[in-house]
Amino acid sequence: MNASYLELQGIRKLFGDQPVLNDVDLTIREGELVTLLGPSGCGKSTLLRCIAGLTELDGGRIRLGQQDLSNLPPRNREVGMVFQSYALFPNLTVADNIEYGLKMRGVAKKERMLRCEELLALVDLEDKRGAYPQHLSGGQQQRVALARSLAVQPKLLLLDEPLSALDAKIRKNLRTEIRQIQKRLKMTTIFVTHDQEEALTLSDRICIMNHGRIVQDGSPESIYSAPRTEFVARFIGSYNVLSRAEASRLFGEGIGQADSFALRPESVKLLMDRSDAEELAAAPANASKRTIEGTIDSIHILGNVIRYFVDAAGIRLTIDRLNDGRSLRANDQSGVRLVLDPSQLLQLEKEGA
Amino acid sequence: MTTQRKARWPHRALMLLLMIYLLLPLLGTFLYGFAKEWQTTILPQGWTLEWVAGMFQDVRFLEALWTSLYLCLISVGLSLAVMLPAVFVITVYLPKWESFMKGLVVLPYAVPGVVAAVGLIRTYSSGPIDLAGTAYLLIGAYFVVILPYMYQGIRNSLLTVSAVELLHAAELLGAKRMRAFLTVILPNIWPGIMISTLLSFSVLFGEFVLTNMLVGGHILTIQVYLYQRVAESGHLASAIAITYFIFILAISTVWMKLGKKFNGEVRG
Amino acid sequence: MKNRNRWMLLGLIPFAVMVLAFQVAPILSMLMGSFSKSGGSGFTFKQYDKILHSAFYLQAIKNSFLISAYSSIVGIIVGLLCAYSITRFSPRIRDRLLMLSNMTSNFAGVPLAFAYIILLGNNGVFTLLFKQWGWSVFADFNLYSWTGLVLVYVYFQVPLALLLLYPSFYGIRDQWKEAASLLGANRWQFWRSVGLPMLTPAIFGTLGILFANAMGAYATAYALVGGNYNLLAIRIGSLVAGDIVNQPELGNALAVLLALSTLLAVFLNHKMTKRSLEFTSEYRSKPSAKRSRGRLTGTNANAGAKEEAV
Repeated sequence: MNASYLELQGIRKLFGDQPVLNDVDLTIREGELVTLLGPSGCGKSTLLRCIAGLTELDGGRIRLGQQDLSNLPPRNREVGMVFQSYALFPNLTVADNIEYGLKMRGVAKKERMLRCEELLALVDLEDKRGAYPQHLSGGQQQRVALARSLAVQPKLLLLDEPLSALDAKIRKNLRTEIRQIQKRLKMTTIFVTHDQEEALTLSDRICIMNHGRIVQDGSPESIYSAPRTEFVARFIGSYNVLSRAEASRLFGEGIGQADSFALRPESVKLLMDRSDAEELAAAPANASKRTIEGTIDSIHILGNVIRYFVDAAGIRLTIDRLNDGRSLRANDQSGVRLVLDPSQLLQLEKEGA
Repeated sequence: MTTQRKARWPHRALMLLLMIYLLLPLLGTFLYGFAKEWQTTILPQGWTLEWVAGMFQDVRFLEALWTSLYLCLISVGLSLAVMLPAVFVITVYLPKWESFMKGLVVLPYAVPGVVAAVGLIRTYSSGPIDLAGTAYLLIGAYFVVILPYMYQGIRNSLLTVSAVELLHAAELLGAKRMRAFLTVILPNIWPGIMISTLLSFSVLFGEFVLTNMLVGGHILTIQVYLYQRVAESGHLASAIAITYFIFILAISTVWMKLGKKFNGEVRG
Repeated sequence: MKNRNRWMLLGLIPFAVMVLAFQVAPILSMLMGSFSKSGGSGFTFKQYDKILHSAFYLQAIKNSFLISAYSSIVGIIVGLLCAYSITRFSPRIRDRLLMLSNMTSNFAGVPLAFAYIILLGNNGVFTLLFKQWGWSVFADFNLYSWTGLVLVYVYFQVPLALLLLYPSFYGIRDQWKEAASLLGANRWQFWRSVGLPMLTPAIFGTLGILFANAMGAYATAYALVGGNYNLLAIRIGSLVAGDIVNQPELGNALAVLLALSTLLAVFLNHKMTKRSLEFTSEYRSKPSAKRSRGRLTGTNANAGAKEEAV
């Protein structure tokens, strides 16, 4: 098996004289699901469209398997794509939509029908084969769109924010479903989204994009636990991003060379009552930790997590704590002690490095 | 995220042909109105303002222009006065009647002018109400002609500014209904109404069938006058046609500008 | 309706009076007239019978029908091509082109006939030019004949078709084309399998409007050929308001037939509009910027187009 199945080299794209993609390099292994994650306008959808051939490149090369795609029209690229707005053909039934690609390839009617049934079963819509897209729910339409792009057995599947138009609940279900199908078919997939939770749950690998570049590329775990830059830290979660001065106010000297730092909200401990304090003192591993005073500004209950906004040393910190039923302090504005662990303080690189 | 594309040459060529086809008659009329003599050459042999001058010295032309203007103004004004309360009441208080209204106002649209004229002549040429050949009959007919535009225009304006919600809000703030209508609804829908008014005006200004059949012998509008002059002097008629057309053009330019502005405002 | 709203009905009274007096009454009167004996009383089908047995009036109907059908079909083909073409331009140029088309759609009736007389009439500029250049192809051309009429009718049908059709091209979303191309369809395959089927309701709907428009057209033909060409609208005009008004009841009956044909055509348009809305109805829940723009310009074009249909 080839280590790099899809290879993007120095992809460049300008809109007018505005660069949207700046020398993007990316390699993807066969069967991998890679997510392009970034805020709107970061170039992630454009990159996807470049791979599909829907947008022309201004520079760079795209190789898929043994084939150079750069100069092929979309219909010869053997790339499947699912759009945010489904893009189903409203004048065709579900079955006709799914068979569309096979029909264009001149596959015989009987074979088309067999394949269509297979896919209807895959996306669990066997009873909707004769329906028209506009009579289906958004989630069902997107499943048809998925089936349609899989019918022709593409070498690469591109998903352009396929879940963004759906309700929260359907989104979560379909997300799991897409991942299962992708794993079962070992389909090499690029998934574009601006939702970090979505990216973290379903990817093998995440590429974070900003201003037309990939700023960090890695497994969901590594992206989440070790953001490289301030942008990633802010984008991926509710990290506390601290300037050098702020970090040294909290942690003292000897924090490293970086100009800015990130602190995960769940890495700060709040001492709520006596038992917390005793527990802390008992453990020898805590010797290196620092304790400082703060005031709780507000408390948000997010479900299994409680989020505290605490002012300490003139800095507003976000602190998450597991909702174990005893930690909620009813009155705001009350004093609290924070336990900071210097080993959890992450050094951030400069933007654009 | 589509890039600005430039149309390819077949499209450019097609559009060029279309524009030539559509503009040629206009251009021809225009040139003819200023031509001294124009035979067997692509462009006229000589130019003159004689025809335009003659037109403005023609008392009958000026009278026809004036007649057209005031007939159209009266008709549009009447329509506005009648339609505004009616459409408001229906849209806001009787939404159930809307489909019936739609059917009613689409009728003039489906019934050609000749047919409308036939009915009007039979109804008003004799019997208890004899309006044959009078301006009253014509104004009534004009009212029906512009019914679809006025209805659609007023209704769309009411819907785009969410009149029902506005009215409720004003009433909750303590305004009397009439006052709420005058102070909140009317100023908001006014630009939209101006648009349909101008459109109606230009439609009526170009009306020929009804005018000619109903009052052709009695009242001379610009269209009827133009028809009478066509046979006499081609050049003079050209000048009249062009003047008429420029007038219509001015109205529709204002109409389009207003439309853009209104839509822009509503959509933010 | 609540009691306190009752006085609101007062606002409807002037409207009801005007509509009854100038729309409903004339139509009823015309219907009654068409079933009256010549001279104006009794109930009879004689007028219709007379029409059905008169070669002259049957020919008028046939001529009107044919000229409407021809000009509508030519209009829709040219309009369709041009409408597609117009969507390929940048919005700025597109708006200019549409404005010009809209402008020329004001140019109908008497002034239009007149312009054609200047250009292609017996002493028209082009007629004389072609004669001088010896272009015999045009020697047989006669503006005051069937071909001439079709030519002039097509002129006012094209901008109307264009303005009515172009918004529906925006209903064909770029993503459909993209999806189709990724599934292996070439452009022609896309238009055949998705594009044209999506346009079909709009095409037939517009065809209905064009047909009604041509059937009811009076001014253009009247100014061009006067009473010399046998068309339904012209016949009605001369029977009812001509110099010698002799058979108004017959005119009524012909008018009823004309109204039926145009009503039918407009009804077709109505049905087709509903159909095409059905195609796109679901997508309304999540409007994209492009679609709302299409809708907006769509209403504008409709307004401009109605103008012509009067």
